[in-house]
Amino acid sequence: MTTTASEPTAGEPTTNGAASNGAQPEGPFDELMSFAQERGYKLDWLRKAEIWGSGEDSDLSRGGLLLQDLAGSDPAEVPDESDNLTGRPRGTQPRKVAPRVGNYRVRTKSDIWLRNAAELYEEAVQRQWSSATDIPWHTLTELPDDIEAAECKLATFLTEIEFVAGDVPGRWISEITPEYFEPRMFLISQVVDEARHLDVFRKRALANGGGLMERNPRAGSDVFAGTIDSARDFTEMSAKLHISGEGSVLTIFRMGERMAYNDAEKMIYRLAASDEARHVAFGVMHLQYLGQTMPERREEIHSYLDEAERGLITGTNQNPAANANPSNAALAILLGGGKDKIEEGQKLALAMRQRQVKEYVQRVTVAGFGERFEEGRSAGEMLRAYASA
Amino acid sequence: MTTEQRQDDAPRPDEAAEKNEPNVTSPLAATYFTDFSWMKRSRQWGTRAPRGPGGLTLEAINIGVYGDLPDDWDEPSRMPRGTYPVAGAVPLGPAFISKKSHQWADHAPQLYEESISRRWSTATDVPWETAYDLPRDVELAMCQVATELSHIGSIEAEVVSSWLELLSYGYHEVKLCLSRQVFESARQFEGWRKRALLNIPELGLESPGWANRMLLESRVGWTETCLALHVLRGSYLLTLLRYLAAYGPSEADRALAGGMVADKARHLAYGMEHARYALGSEPDFRDSWNRALVGAEAAVNRDEDDHVLQEALAIVFGGGVRGMDAGMQTVRRMRRDWTRAYLARMNWIGLDRDPWLTARMRENFEEPGTNGTADAAGEAAG
Repeated sequence: MTTTASEPTAGEPTTNGAASNGAQPEGPFDELMSFAQERGYKLDWLRKAEIWGSGEDSDLSRGGLLLQDLAGSDPAEVPDESDNLTGRPRGTQPRKVAPRVGNYRVRTKSDIWLRNAAELYEEAVQRQWSSATDIPWHTLTELPDDIEAAECKLATFLTEIEFVAGDVPGRWISEITPEYFEPRMFLISQVVDEARHLDVFRKRALANGGGLMERNPRAGSDVFAGTIDSARDFTEMSAKLHISGEGSVLTIFRMGERMAYNDAEKMIYRLAASDEARHVAFGVMHLQYLGQTMPERREEIHSYLDEAERGLITGTNQNPAANANPSNAALAILLGGGKDKIEEGQKLALAMRQRQVKEYVQRVTVAGFGERFEEGRSAGEMLRAYASA
Repeated sequence: MTTEQRQDDAPRPDEAAEKNEPNVTSPLAATYFTDFSWMKRSRQWGTRAPRGPGGLTLEAINIGVYGDLPDDWDEPSRMPRGTYPVAGAVPLGPAFISKKSHQWADHAPQLYEESISRRWSTATDVPWETAYDLPRDVELAMCQVATELSHIGSIEAEVVSSWLELLSYGYHEVKLCLSRQVFESARQFEGWRKRALLNIPELGLESPGWANRMLLESRVGWTETCLALHVLRGSYLLTLLRYLAAYGPSEADRALAGGMVADKARHLAYGMEHARYALGSEPDFRDSWNRALVGAEAAVNRDEDDHVLQEALAIVFGGGVRGMDAGMQTVRRMRRDWTRAYLARMNWIGLDRDPWLTARMRENFEEPGTNGTADAAGEAAG
């Protein structure tokens, strides 16, 4: 069913209604326009628009009305470049008088885009959970001192690094033109996911007779260049945060059941892993899109991955499974079952580290940059050593 | 282990680690770390936060040193509050807003938890099927209203997210609360976008943009932005959403607006609480804030005077073009209601706006209601 509203056009409102230009009303809608304009209303914003059949065409049975479902009814194609400086979302009709407010750094589609951001956003909305009520905190029981201290140490480490994972995507939200709102929406969902992780690990540290421990001794020691924090290019940031950093954390969360001592801890790791998997997926899919659409940037991206891999190997104190530091010792105590079984735990920690590396290699390969593992780039040999140790 | 203070005299872990520092590039490196002095480094061991009816909440874990909120947080890194400090941590880049009075609101932790406990989805919690067959004029008007609300949600997400990393890590409750606000502003964006495009393949005109610009360009301080964003424009939006929740042309429209009323009310609550706290801490700001708000109110009035949204709302509230006269009366009542509510909120904060109000601003609330029926409708919307 397609009908047409009469006259006035999109754009800056002017007095151009059906009745005011002398035309005779042609139908019920025109009569309404005349009726209103005789009473002093302009209605010049009522543009000529097709009624879209109806929303009955939408299939609400599969997850409701989803952002990605609008794609078919949204006439505004995603532009390769954006000159939208008024902050209007994609497809919104512009006004000539609107002030320019959008000092957006990211205005090129390939710099930010991925094919499934809307899906990831909607999934994030559906899978929101509460650290207050969705964790069976009542299952916490008193643990041996060494186990509780290790739990608290790891929780302290995780609550601190979640600050980074929340603040950095948050910083980019206002830098991305709303022309590309889907990835922006995903980043917003990531910010609340990371807020929840920050809060759930803080709660764990303070819930069972322990306390927050010493902060990460070398946190923030790489402040000058080449870090998640310092990246001035979105894809560089995303490769390091989403693929390398969060990928490593995802492996830890997925092996959380091995180091959980009660159902509360198991649930924390399970739910956090579900969130983290979305974040990693975002990074992989964005890198894949960039690699396919901007082949001239491939070498540059490889250089970022070189840096990320050096971090993956040395740990730079952001990865409890990858370096000899207190968080690593805590992890080993948890995996082994106590301070006196730390050697067994270290073996499991090493297995975790191997899995981190293997999963990293797989993700980079899926993103379309797998040739770096065949071409002998800087960290390739070391990665293989980890993967096969 | 007892509830001792674990302020130990063991070697610093970084010193010890360096003595035993293995070759970290070896696959077997992790097996060499045997310094356990870190196990004694907690400022308050023995903490057992209580669970309440709402589960284990942020408020519940603010006990002992973990609930100590200094007036200034001078730690320039991301150290979580209450952790055992490490000397020599490298500071981060951004200049943090480090004063408690520049960000704090006492109920930020509760607002955060409430936001999560009231989570909802525009995809599944709105009966979209009830909005399929509206009269064409009403549908087009709703499309315009929805387009502007969507645009405003998008800008608000930009505004708040641009401040997030500048807020100090010592008051993480505020960061968490505001992260939920960004998320809820995003929901305003996508929920109204879905509504605008439900039956028509085109969006309406963008928002005039004067209030958006005022909020984006407000960089003097977070508190000033808060006053303009949460209390001023928030009052306007909250009232508009309440009216849509009452007068929306379909159950879907009313449900969508109603869900956002709860979201917006939390944003406003944070803004009011924070501004009152800030003013109580630094009363010398009273005149400068009052003066700055004159310009902010003018920006909101300028948007409000745009006939596009006025007419669209009049059609929606009046049930169609033929009901626009009555609808416009409702629009005027809405103006009066939001302005009165705004002024009352400012008074609660400690800012008497009366001497500062422009003639244009006064028009909003001095315009008499048309009659008792109209007032009753306004109450229904409230």
